[in-house]
Amino acid sequence: MKSTLIVILFFCAGIISAQNFKVEKVIGNVKAQIGASENWSQIKPGEILIANSTISTGEKSSVSLDGNNIHFVLKGSSALPLTNLKKMSLDQLILALAMQDMINTPRKKEEANSKNTAVYGAEINGIKEPFVVSSNFGVQRLNGAVQLAESGFKESAIIDAKETFRKYPETSKMSSFRIYFANLLADLDLNEEAYDDFKQIDSLELDSDQKSEVAGKLDLLSKKLMKN
Amino acid sequence: MIGTVKISAQSSFGLSGYWTPLEENSTLMNSYEANPENFSSLKDWGLSFSYGGEFSNTPTSSLYLISLSKQIGRHFVSVRYTPGYQKDFIFNNGQSILIHDSTSQALDSKYTYKELFGFGYSYKFSGQFSAGFSLRYFKQEFDQESVEPVFSDTLYLNRFSKIDNINFWRADFGFNYLPSKYFSFSVSTINLFNINESAVDTTLIPYEIKKYKGVAFGLSVSPAENFDYNFIYETTNALQTGFDISFNIFNGKARIGVTGFHDNYQSPFIAGIIPAISFNTKFLGVSLSGVKYFSNRNIQHTFSEFTNEGLDNIINNRYSYDKVILTFTFALNTIAEKEVQFLDANIVRDIYPTMSDNYLNRPFATARVINLTHRTITIKPSSKIEGINEDRIVSPVVKIGPKDTAEVSFYTIIPQSYDKKKTGISFVDFFITADNSQPDDQIQKPILINGINSWDGKVINLRYFIKRDYQFSMDYSKKILSRYKSELDSMAYSISIFYKAKILFNNFVKELVYSANPTIAQDYVQFPNETLKLKGGNCDDLSVLYSSLLESVGIQTALVDYKPQNGIGHVNILIDTQLSPDQARLITDNDSKYFIRKNESGIDEVWIPVETTSLTNFDKAWQLGSEKFNRDALDNLGLAKGSVEIVDVY
Repeated sequence: MKSTLIVILFFCAGIISAQNFKVEKVIGNVKAQIGASENWSQIKPGEILIANSTISTGEKSSVSLDGNNIHFVLKGSSALPLTNLKKMSLDQLILALAMQDMINTPRKKEEANSKNTAVYGAEINGIKEPFVVSSNFGVQRLNGAVQLAESGFKESAIIDAKETFRKYPETSKMSSFRIYFANLLADLDLNEEAYDDFKQIDSLELDSDQKSEVAGKLDLLSKKLMKN
Repeated sequence: MIGTVKISAQSSFGLSGYWTPLEENSTLMNSYEANPENFSSLKDWGLSFSYGGEFSNTPTSSLYLISLSKQIGRHFVSVRYTPGYQKDFIFNNGQSILIHDSTSQALDSKYTYKELFGFGYSYKFSGQFSAGFSLRYFKQEFDQESVEPVFSDTLYLNRFSKIDNINFWRADFGFNYLPSKYFSFSVSTINLFNINESAVDTTLIPYEIKKYKGVAFGLSVSPAENFDYNFIYETTNALQTGFDISFNIFNGKARIGVTGFHDNYQSPFIAGIIPAISFNTKFLGVSLSGVKYFSNRNIQHTFSEFTNEGLDNIINNRYSYDKVILTFTFALNTIAEKEVQFLDANIVRDIYPTMSDNYLNRPFATARVINLTHRTITIKPSSKIEGINEDRIVSPVVKIGPKDTAEVSFYTIIPQSYDKKKTGISFVDFFITADNSQPDDQIQKPILINGINSWDGKVINLRYFIKRDYQFSMDYSKKILSRYKSELDSMAYSISIFYKAKILFNNFVKELVYSANPTIAQDYVQFPNETLKLKGGNCDDLSVLYSSLLESVGIQTALVDYKPQNGIGHVNILIDTQLSPDQARLITDNDSKYFIRKNESGIDEVWIPVETTSLTNFDKAWQLGSEKFNRDALDNLGLAKGSVEIVDVY
């Protein structure tokens, strides 16, 4: 615990040894956000992107990436954190889902320390709470996740989508995306997780086709769960 | 359980029986014969009377014994007066006076043997081991009639008695060992020391009580509830063996038992038996026992027989008659009866005074205790740590079944005022109390009391250092934030939390220099004021400082415990911005720099990781914190695998 300098060196070494991707081909407007940088920069063919970068493509744009025995093309109007461009095993997916559940579980107040209720400054100062206009970045992330799944990275795609649904709450109301990723869970025989997702989807605004699809899936999954 | 009447042959023969040390009862161990080590389970005062009769040709009765005993702490003393321990022999000594009218008058001898009184002492070294001794005083009176001529005007013979007293002391030593409630073992000497008061007339030696030296081994076993087996062997070739059965009745315990004894100087092989019945309550005991010899006792013995064989025991010898003895015992307890007792106690956690709340929720010590009674009792454990507690700290009560054992836990309270920086050894007194106002038992153990900066290395316990200098942190944070009052007042509260965190970080880092290990000592954590005073600290100290400053102004934080990999661990912090996910873009355009957690109400909030050892500026610290958190906690599934843990401060 005391040797933080060593930890930081270790941390840097981790970044260096992380899986990087080479930009093979760029069409149109493709930007990258490197690591924890706040800025987006245009990327060019031949550029090396570190694994904790996020790439974003404009309309009618695409980027071709290569690295770690993976060749991947991200189409237009999409975004993808490169950390999710990886092959995950089913066990890793289950662990990752469990981890998300863990984070999602509301924190409980513990008795160890009494809560400090002191507030400095004006809590209610009459200033209207800022309203943030939703960006379409969440949708771009979901587009990226769909392409991940279509390229065979179903497990990573599920994790990417679930993160996006939480970070961009408006996307969690997009029923077609929700149904798509719930079906991915069902395809991987993660029936309990798929059932929970479809139950949530069932409470969204759905068209008649979606309603019947969700009802059918819920029926099928509940039967499977009953058998187990 | 055991309550055996054991009346031994020869040296260990006792009229009122021998009560096994395995059994807790109020019957006094008034027999120095079978119990020369003076062992007793008596709690305070004891008084005992034995009265009995002997079925000789002319039945007689007498008060055999009065004894008084007292337990004083670990010491047990007793005295006894034994007027009935007496044997008289009257002989025609073979001489007679022939009178002129041809009548004659025989000359008699009367030998009297008495044990007058005794004194006993023992010391209880532990619940299992006790040792002691007894001193007994014997009186022997040899009265022999004789005649002597008296010359005057006429010659006549004067008939007179020649009395010789040969009194002596006998001292014996022994010990008792009771390793469990099912087994006891004793060893005692026979005639270890015999000291005559005066010179002995050599012609009387054959008539003195014989003082063979030897050792007696006693064994008591309780193979089943309410059944006991006892055995005593003396190296003078005497033994006795017996059993008893006991049962609870009328709030007391009744026992029926029988003992057979073999005496090397009596016949047949089993010279006799001692049937006995007794009833004991907490304060009163009564027993009726008898001695039945298998050989005919109403026969004449010659003086020459007596001269050849002698006498080895006053109350049990070849001239003894069958007896019946009634014994009353009173236990005068002014001391509360011990109902529960410690078997052992263990310190399970050293004391880290700063982590005080830990000791309210988790025990620092446990102990095994035994219920000594025949009923279910509720016990109250308590403890007092020297140098920390002024009074006893009471822990939760525990119920224990009859004669059962249980583990009890001890919790403690460490006062907020405790401020010793030095680590040292202290002592903790453990108490257990049943129904009494005073503790039934007490045990002391050494305990390590760490200094207030000591830490057990568990990140979860760093929380206590964050709380510690709360007032200091509040004052410090207020002082800094007051400089930015106008900016903060002009922004929405929700976004102001993030900016307060940023302002505090950017200000305090100006005063600090990172030090990998400024205090050298492992597991030493500085309080927030100390880190600022020393102008440095390591990851623990800096995380504690920053978290404390934030918490002091109502910003919720969590510690991130990056558990040691290859011996290297790390800690930094997470800040709850209280922003909703929709509002995250107010603070960043990079969605990898935050993650979402639900609050107590189930509402998603934006949390950001900050690397406190990055003493550059907030943005850099946030960037480093997110990169590490993303990689170790999320991408590598550290949170799921347990290699990374989020510890909420409150």
